[in-house]
Amino acid sequence: MAFALSPPAEATREASTLAVSRARAVRRFKLSLLLPLIAIFALVLTPVLLLQLYFSVHQWTVYLSSWWDADYVGLDLFRDVLTDPRFGWAVVRSLAFATGSTLGCFVFGFLLAYLMYRPFRGQAFFYIIFILPMLTVPVVVAYTAEMMLYRSGPLNDAISHITGFNFQVSWLTNPHLALLTAALLEIWNWTPFSFIIMLAGLAAIPKEPIEAAEILGASKWRIFWEVQVPLLRPVILLALVLRFLEAMAEFPKTWALFQGGPGSATETLPIYIFMTTWQYFEVSKGAAMSYIVMLMMIVIVLVAIQLLRREKRSLDAMYRQRDEEEQAAGG
Amino acid sequence: MSKFDVTRRGFIEGGLGLTVANFVPGSAPFASAATMEEQTIAAAKKVGAAKVNGMIWSPYFVPMQPVIAEFTKETGIGIGGVQDISIFDAPQRAMAEALSRSPQFDFIHIDSNMIPSLASAGFLEPLDEYIKNSGFHYDVVAGYDNFMKYNGHTYGVPTDGNVHIQYTRKDLIDNPDNKKRFADKFGTELKVADTWEENLRLQEFLMDPSKDLYGSGNLRNRANGVTWWYMIFYSAGGFPFDDDMKPTLNTPAGQYAVDIYLQDKKVNHPEAANWGTPQMIPRIAQGHVVSCQYWDGTCKTIKNPKQSKTVGQFYYSVVPGSKFSGKMLRRSISSPLAAILINKYSPRKAQAAYLALWLGSGKNSIPIVSDPVNAFNDAWSNAHFAAPQVINAYTQEGIDAIKKNFEIVCPPIYLTGYLEFQDALGKNLSEAYVGQLAAKDVLKNTENEWNKIVGRIGRAKLKKDLVSYKAAMTKRDVPA
Repeated sequence: MAFALSPPAEATREASTLAVSRARAVRRFKLSLLLPLIAIFALVLTPVLLLQLYFSVHQWTVYLSSWWDADYVGLDLFRDVLTDPRFGWAVVRSLAFATGSTLGCFVFGFLLAYLMYRPFRGQAFFYIIFILPMLTVPVVVAYTAEMMLYRSGPLNDAISHITGFNFQVSWLTNPHLALLTAALLEIWNWTPFSFIIMLAGLAAIPKEPIEAAEILGASKWRIFWEVQVPLLRPVILLALVLRFLEAMAEFPKTWALFQGGPGSATETLPIYIFMTTWQYFEVSKGAAMSYIVMLMMIVIVLVAIQLLRREKRSLDAMYRQRDEEEQAAGG
Repeated sequence: MSKFDVTRRGFIEGGLGLTVANFVPGSAPFASAATMEEQTIAAAKKVGAAKVNGMIWSPYFVPMQPVIAEFTKETGIGIGGVQDISIFDAPQRAMAEALSRSPQFDFIHIDSNMIPSLASAGFLEPLDEYIKNSGFHYDVVAGYDNFMKYNGHTYGVPTDGNVHIQYTRKDLIDNPDNKKRFADKFGTELKVADTWEENLRLQEFLMDPSKDLYGSGNLRNRANGVTWWYMIFYSAGGFPFDDDMKPTLNTPAGQYAVDIYLQDKKVNHPEAANWGTPQMIPRIAQGHVVSCQYWDGTCKTIKNPKQSKTVGQFYYSVVPGSKFSGKMLRRSISSPLAAILINKYSPRKAQAAYLALWLGSGKNSIPIVSDPVNAFNDAWSNAHFAAPQVINAYTQEGIDAIKKNFEIVCPPIYLTGYLEFQDALGKNLSEAYVGQLAAKDVLKNTENEWNKIVGRIGRAKLKKDLVSYKAAMTKRDVPA
């Protein structure tokens, strides 16, 4: 074969040129797909971001003048927001709410996915049942929950009947419980999201490592912890990150049920930003708040991307090592 | 509902007659003989037919439709489309419209306390000219029309009075055993309370949580509770600002109002901290409440046996008052007072204005406020208080109470920035009610927040607003 007759150095060079040229073509193809999207994104988002930036450095009162006459105040509004204890508490509440509900969604979602990932009779029926909460409109979830969660409502009654105690918890009016109630509703509403992601992840795990572990006599628990979970780590991270970001932005249920109350127990970031902008009409402060929250979310996303990359790298290395070992064994 | 058969010929003849009569010396009384409703039609015809669009909540809109249809028949001015937005969400939406100077809505139906904010944002069309052209007048208890005025202009037409009246359980008060026990314990007669303190004592005495009977049915949630606080504060002689727009909440009157407000916790349902009207009205009507101050429309619910287990079991009266200021003062409140406001940027603002004035005629609005099913629009006009249809809907006792409460009615904050002021106070009161904030800090914190709001909106501007706010405050100590 001519190929086999070529000198090794030249063959390597040719292969390398081919690889570079292919990589360039792939990059061009990717760019050609992405560019229109980036253009649309920039066209839609840039004016909004610029306008928001304008408002966040200009003190504008809706009652007095046109917005283009607003006074330039530099970074004063950012300082106001960062020194506003109410904003600080809203951040704390949002983080607590998002962390708690994300973990709840994940635990239940993973559990359901683990029960469901092997085919069984009637699986489709259960699948539909499990994803139903996610298909329910959040405001409907809130109003239905409101009827369930009164002190003398069906939930407390049911618990009282089961336990034999007179269970009289004020889910909606106790300021120490209100945020937990909101988080529980979020978990009920969005567990299917984690369930779907984890189900896809579990289904995509290669069978060989599990079969090998079974042959070696590993228990199901060890297979789960030492084979499946490590292989699922990127998927787990993705499920957690996506859910966390969504939970940070939760508004309809919390607003419909509590409007920030009782007291200020459920005044999370989206609620406080909404109130500032659309109840107090402090459009400038609302814009500054939005920018700060956006920066916060960008940091979270960047950290998440780094973690995902690291997970992917370690997984790639694991697969590469396995391939090499297989090749070596085959050779 | 008024019925007119104004033919074109008849109208021209009438108009001609009126024109001629206007030039006859001393004939003014004859010239104004046309009714307000007829004049409104005549003025509306001049601006031409149009379909107007509005923002209005359907429970308010549905009973208006037959009255609007009548106007459409006479003038060609009707409804093109409406956006069904709850009165609680309307302020945010209206403000968004104001910011964008959008002509999308020709009219908005909204809490009249938003008039200063929306007028300041340049969104509202003054109605003075239309009022003059149509010979319109507010047929209301003296002074109540000031709720529609701001900085010398008139901006709104009421459709729902929403005044608070006192509800007290007749069967419990008149029970001989209760009367005797009460007299034995307090040495005084068990009767409808005159003061806030008497009301609390009565509620505490008659409540029985083991039977799901609580003393109070007042709202204490973050959004609504503040409305109740104003009644107590005003009746203690308080007013929230001095003439220089410095908050005057943290005063003896303010502290007294906070104290009375928070004492409600011992007589109200444990979940009251997050309850609004959807929870509380059924409890009142189902007999789980001893007494409360509540919106007047609840009379209609109580009277309806399909919705109520307490038909005929309530006394309706003037809200309690206070002698804290040295003299007896009673102060009721009207909030949200739903009114129609006109968008200045609308190309059909004249048509929308005349339609609003048509709906705002006391005579025309009788069927609107007496609708037994869509009961959101409550009586507000003198014409309503005398109409058998309305009396039948509310009961004579209910109407008498409504009328008396209108004599001593006040607005909540009636200033530019109403929502900001309102929520700052509402949040702090709510925090104190659920134990997140010490009672002594409620007014101090609110004053700090209000000072910032005043600074942001502008002290000079708000000082001007204060004139309209004070004009809307009742001048009577107690009803006649």
